[in-house]
Amino acid sequence: MGGEKRKHRYAMVIVLDRCIGCMACYAACKDEWNIPINKEMFRTEVLTIEDSDNKGNPKVTFLPILCNQCDNPPCVEVCPTGASYKREEDGIVLVEPSMCIGCKACIESCPYDARYYNERKTAVDKCTFCLPRISNGLEPACVATCVGEARNFGDLNDKNSRVSKMLKDAKKVWRLQEDKGTQPNVYYVSLNY
Amino acid sequence: MSKGMSRRAFIKAGSIAVASAAIGGSILPKISTANSQIESYNRMMTQYYEGKKAFTYCEMCFWKCGVIAHVRNGVVHKLDGNPLNPNNQGHLCAKGNSGIYLLYDPNRLKTPLIRTGKRGEGKFKKVSWDEAFDYIGKKLKTIINKYGARSVASLLHGTGEEPFKILSRAIGTPNVIIPAYSQCMGSREIGWFLTYGTGVSGHAPFDYKNSKYIISFGRNILGSIQVREAKDLAEGLARGAKLVYCDPRFSETAAKADVWLPINPGTDLALILGLIHVIIRDQLVNMEFVDKYCYGFDRLADFIREYTPDWASKETGIEPSLIEKIAWEFAKNAPNVVAVPPRRFSRYGNDTQTSRGIAILNALMGNWGVPGGIWQRNKFKYIVTNINANDCEIKEIKFRPPKEKKPPRPRVLRADGAGYKFPLAPGFLGRENGIIEATRTGKPYPIKAWIVYDTNPIGSSPIGKNKLIEEVIPKLDLIVDIDVIPNDISMFADVILPESTYLERYDLPHIQKDAHPFIAIREPAVKPLFDTKVSWDIAKGIAEKLGYGKYFEESLKERIEKIIKRLPEGKQRELRERGVTVFEGANPYPQVSGEPLKFHTRTRKIELYSTFLEKLQKRRGDAYYPLPKYTPPKRSQEENTFRLLFGRVPVHTHTRTQNNKMLEELYTENKVWINTDDAKKLGVNEDDLVVLYSLTSKRESAPIKAKVTNRIRSGCVFIAHGFGHISKLLDIAYKKGISDSLLCSDDVDPISGAAAFLNAFVKIKKVRG
Repeated sequence: MGGEKRKHRYAMVIVLDRCIGCMACYAACKDEWNIPINKEMFRTEVLTIEDSDNKGNPKVTFLPILCNQCDNPPCVEVCPTGASYKREEDGIVLVEPSMCIGCKACIESCPYDARYYNERKTAVDKCTFCLPRISNGLEPACVATCVGEARNFGDLNDKNSRVSKMLKDAKKVWRLQEDKGTQPNVYYVSLNY
Repeated sequence: MSKGMSRRAFIKAGSIAVASAAIGGSILPKISTANSQIESYNRMMTQYYEGKKAFTYCEMCFWKCGVIAHVRNGVVHKLDGNPLNPNNQGHLCAKGNSGIYLLYDPNRLKTPLIRTGKRGEGKFKKVSWDEAFDYIGKKLKTIINKYGARSVASLLHGTGEEPFKILSRAIGTPNVIIPAYSQCMGSREIGWFLTYGTGVSGHAPFDYKNSKYIISFGRNILGSIQVREAKDLAEGLARGAKLVYCDPRFSETAAKADVWLPINPGTDLALILGLIHVIIRDQLVNMEFVDKYCYGFDRLADFIREYTPDWASKETGIEPSLIEKIAWEFAKNAPNVVAVPPRRFSRYGNDTQTSRGIAILNALMGNWGVPGGIWQRNKFKYIVTNINANDCEIKEIKFRPPKEKKPPRPRVLRADGAGYKFPLAPGFLGRENGIIEATRTGKPYPIKAWIVYDTNPIGSSPIGKNKLIEEVIPKLDLIVDIDVIPNDISMFADVILPESTYLERYDLPHIQKDAHPFIAIREPAVKPLFDTKVSWDIAKGIAEKLGYGKYFEESLKERIEKIIKRLPEGKQRELRERGVTVFEGANPYPQVSGEPLKFHTRTRKIELYSTFLEKLQKRRGDAYYPLPKYTPPKRSQEENTFRLLFGRVPVHTHTRTQNNKMLEELYTENKVWINTDDAKKLGVNEDDLVVLYSLTSKRESAPIKAKVTNRIRSGCVFIAHGFGHISKLLDIAYKKGISDSLLCSDDVDPISGAAAFLNAFVKIKKVRG
């Protein structure tokens, strides 16, 4: 894990047991950031993964996805104009829309399906960890509305933060596609399993 | 496998080439410009303006979560949950978040309308409010003169229903119908009332958060969302509670369950009796509690002897050993356990007795007024603490909303059978199925006018079976529809009156009896966008034309103030500044603190054996058996047919949200769920178009896509409720998906008189294409 030297190491910790797939986060995020009503366009989404267990019984997992604000972000690397950048102070990855030429290389490079092209903005758009909200004492919109209280947000550089404690206490912690070397800052945890 | 992984596949690999070209080109900004651009963007991205706040409670469904609406430049920008409201504690579901798309729905009703075309054609002319009221007044007078006041029926649902109840009383008709009884919770409430002397009520008192073991009999807590219940269950499960979920369909709740019981539909009571059998046989009953607080245990013990797990297994398809295991685990964790009845209990016609069974299963565990069981609802009491240098005085003060000067209750026989044909069906709720029947047959007397507020009988009643459009609606000389959007019933209305949405209006404070009772206010976030009114002023407009204006002399705002002024000043301030005030003088767990428990039944005890039903049984026969006697559900008489199940998805409410842009995006059409093995036999693959032909209603659905899945038991199919709208004025929802109302059954539970929709059987036909 990198980022200890930053002022803040913001992270989202998602308790997967508590995600009920209600899609409140999806709607709250779209409202807050005025994201077009279009299934291809979202900053966060919850996947319903239908599967079977080894006895053939149905198994359904709700998996929230969003930008992982990677410490080694492939999207920033491939951006030809510098529109995609990682903030030094807190590690949040942003896209400066006027610098974005819409080449979509970043969309292609992201292993998390976290970016989309916003025609209204004529730029690529993505989750910002709700930087404007968190800079003003609010939680990210998806966290505030989360019915199952699955989503948690905070600073891992603060050992006493809720997210730091959750990572310490969880029975199981993982991140998505860690093998890609992206060093994501979205953590998935399980409390009971 | 997953629905989202490849969704953004429109991004072609070609974009990489574009990127390389870009790097080589000259469009790169100079580094210094780039830096200053980034700097100023960083500055901008740390600014946030929440906007002006308005406090309200949600009306996207009926459970009244606290909402803070944020308004920027006169536009509602964002809805947040009110953290202080016990119903949602800061959270909102997808529906609650999407209220903005109701407010700004271009299809909204914008002015009063009078029908110009034929009924159903959807042709209307705009009129002024006075013209509309005048038209209604004249028509109602004619009808009342010819057929009597009782020929006017009102079907009401939602926060603004109260003034139409006053209007009905003023007119002198007893026929006020709250469809939530017969179409939804009626059988659950009656079963509970017979046992505990009180209903479950909309805000269920089940303490999932602190529970150790939960059995849900088809209550899809996580799919048919009430925020508090869903949150509490997620919390309980995170704390290690075990969840057993019983439903032929693997719902959102099943996804989180430890055990899914894909029960044979309609046999829940057999399972419950099997569980009770084991609990009594193996002496797992909380006898201390039962001796003290329950009535009729010995009779129950005799009665239950024949309902062995082997017997239950034959009915339900659930292994006897599993029934034994669940009974033991449930009892072992008592009293911090809860057995949960479904909310919409209009299923198989044996529902009231099933509700009784669930109520009894709880009682045997002694879980009343205990954490993790059933908490006790409390009266409105607040504590006033007065501390000075020498003394500390604590006073408990009761809060009562002011009594209104209301017209007397009409002493006239109801047309819907509530109270006499179905003696347990309460007259203050009525039976929608009964009033539809009475309207069609003219018996016991003709019904000639419907005032429909915020409900849509075309989606909520079995219109295929009861021939609502063909035979019922033509009997009516007047249909007045009050709503925010032109729903299906609006197409048949003679007059449509547009109500302001909940984000544009004041309403009476929401007062909720609860573990910790509370009051929440509703104030408008924005002024009405169109020529709409609040329900109080709509009912008043009609009343004035009929000469009953005196019951509506006060304004809505005066009435609101009158209620709020009853509170001490501190509470008033809290209410105005925070939108909600919670009453702290309450104890939801009286059993733990040793307080005596009170039950409002005839015996003042929890009636395992119902004295009320015993009386009815003597007069009316065994349909009113005092113990929860099992009646097997209706079965299909034909081969290759499937029972049609329907229910909720987390992102829609009834038939009212399918035109909401955001919610439509989240759940667009109600694909029919077909079991994988059944589909194989039928030769149906995923997304194949099929039609459902109902042997029950003799009606056929429009073509709909199939979802082939092992998430449903063989022999049944499932569709989400609320789709297949026939209103041409709903651009998004019109003809999207199919409607269960066309196909379902119109059976009746003999005890509650509520509907039983799931006794319908369909054939599946593949559409050639």
